[in-house]
Amino acid sequence: MAEVSRRKSRRDLNVSHHLEVNNLVKMFGGLIATNEMSFQVDEGESLGLIGPNGAGKTTIFSLIMGELRQTSGSITCFDSEISHLQTHERIQRGISRTYQVPRPFADMNVLENIRVGLMPDNIWQMIMRRPDPEREIELAQSVGFAENDFLRHPSELSIGDLRKLELARTLATDPSLMLLDEVFAGLTVAEIAQMAELINQKREAGMTMIIVSHDLKSLEPLIDRAIAMNYGAIVAEGSFADVMADEQVRATYLGDE
Amino acid sequence: MTGISWRHVALWAVFIIFMLLLPEMVSKGTLRTVIFANFLAIFAISWDVISGRTGYISFGHPFLIGIGAYTTAILSYRFGMPVGLSIPLAVCVTMVAGTLFFLPALRVKGSYFALVTLAFMELMYQLVQVIRPDLTGGTRGMSGVTTLARGAVNNYYLSFGLMIVIAVSMWVLMKTRFGTALSAIGMNEESVRGSGLSTTRLKLFAFMVSAMVAGLGGAFYVHYLGSIAPRALFDINFVFTIIVAVLIGGASTIVGPMLGAFFLTFLLEYLRPYLPGAERYFIYGSIALVIYMYQPKGLYEIVMQQWRKYRVVKAGET
Ligand SMILES: Nc1ncnc2c1ncn2[C@@H]1O[C@H](COP(=O)(O)OP(=O)(O)O)[C@@H](O)[C@H]1O
Ligand SMILES: [Mg+2]
Repeated sequence: MAEVSRRKSRRDLNVSHHLEVNNLVKMFGGLIATNEMSFQVDEGESLGLIGPNGAGKTTIFSLIMGELRQTSGSITCFDSEISHLQTHERIQRGISRTYQVPRPFADMNVLENIRVGLMPDNIWQMIMRRPDPEREIELAQSVGFAENDFLRHPSELSIGDLRKLELARTLATDPSLMLLDEVFAGLTVAEIAQMAELINQKREAGMTMIIVSHDLKSLEPLIDRAIAMNYGAIVAEGSFADVMADEQVRATYLGDE
Repeated sequence: MTGISWRHVALWAVFIIFMLLLPEMVSKGTLRTVIFANFLAIFAISWDVISGRTGYISFGHPFLIGIGAYTTAILSYRFGMPVGLSIPLAVCVTMVAGTLFFLPALRVKGSYFALVTLAFMELMYQLVQVIRPDLTGGTRGMSGVTTLARGAVNNYYLSFGLMIVIAVSMWVLMKTRFGTALSAIGMNEESVRGSGLSTTRLKLFAFMVSAMVAGLGGAFYVHYLGSIAPRALFDINFVFTIIVAVLIGGASTIVGPMLGAFFLTFLLEYLRPYLPGAERYFIYGSIALVIYMYQPKGLYEIVMQQWRKYRVVKAGET
């Protein structure tokens, strides 16, 4: 509870938002994947993004990361426009994401996968400085890998382990804003609990987050605020309870479940 | 992707000693074949740095090799520049020209990259024939270019020296995180970008390293042959020889391209009496296919598997 009030007071003090999206539009040919979306996330806040399949949640993440270019609209990080930046430059600004479908490096083991995330974006340093196995191990352990997993390859990992690996590689870039896409999809009950615990730790540590999940029960305790979207536009916004009470959300979302 | 251990160093040392003693053990004819294998290994290593690792397949390596070869040949033969100067210059020109020409190619993906590089090779072939044939020798090329060493043994040592210096330095470079990052691009470029790395810069740098090695190999090759023949150089068969050497040896390694180059050179040499013409090139496809079906990662992985099996058996005995 002390955590929550600390976050609240910081939010009141800060005028600039950690991330602000304004009138964001993304068209895929004739399809409007993002339709005039505007929202903000404050520093240390955790925002839940919900909506049926195809609502445009993943597209928003790709736009924020610069993996897709918006048709129009702006994206700012602490009031500075980041739309012109390339993905790696946005990551250097502390924004990082996980993917709905984990994308590990298939011929590398767990530690080597994390190593790539830890690399500086400087070829000279890449060559001259050795990797840091202690930091690799620390990150692997922090997401719950046991020692005998370190040398495993992605083909030997469960979907839960792959999501952990994805999280570790994302954390390796030292983000202050994390975008987590369908973090609980395909996980066992035990793995969901473990993942939720991890996210909570990061939240306690002050990480700003946007979390996409279909598993509303697991999502609820991890977020401060929720946005429900459909057809690329915001349907409802507010506390989790308010959003879930919204008639439109009940119609589109709960009917879908 | 693991570190360098004393065992690696010992294996390199054993290989180098064996190769240094080779002239005592084999005929001059065999030695001449090994010289070609050494050069093919250099070209294969160069190709692997960009294409084997990142998965951006270059069909244009003769373009790079050609720039290196033509630059030093023209500078030394037409302008009387000492070879000690013309070769380093040729390498620089290869890196610069390669970078300029391939910069647009690096921005396109997959098969487009292959096509663009292939186009450069063809363009270069046409250009050397049309532009300043008084310098390039036109369609006929050049002969009488300065040679660096006399006799099979000396030329063997020279080519092996160059090959091993390149191989070991590339091996060390690829053991660093830079090599890991290049291999990562080949596995999943988006995730490399998602890890905060500029893949364009990584690919460009890899390309420059590849061009440097190709330029070095091309320059020394022309001074070994003493002549340059555009039709043989800018030949799609030459590209295939390089690519097949890497693929059957084992892409994304250094030893693989070397193994592949030696294997392919000797295979073609022994097939020569039976299949004198272009038919032997058909053999490429078949061999590549057979090895691919047995082990997609190539000869290097086959050797490593045997070695691991042997280790397990040994461990079981004691
Ligand atoms: N690269 C793409 N090209 C064309 N259409 C796309 C592309 N990516 C997503 N879409 C479409 O955009 C819409 C939103 O997709 P997405 O953002 O993945 O939804 P969500 O993550 O909410 O399930 C869907 O209709 C999807 O088919
Ligand atoms: Mg999605």
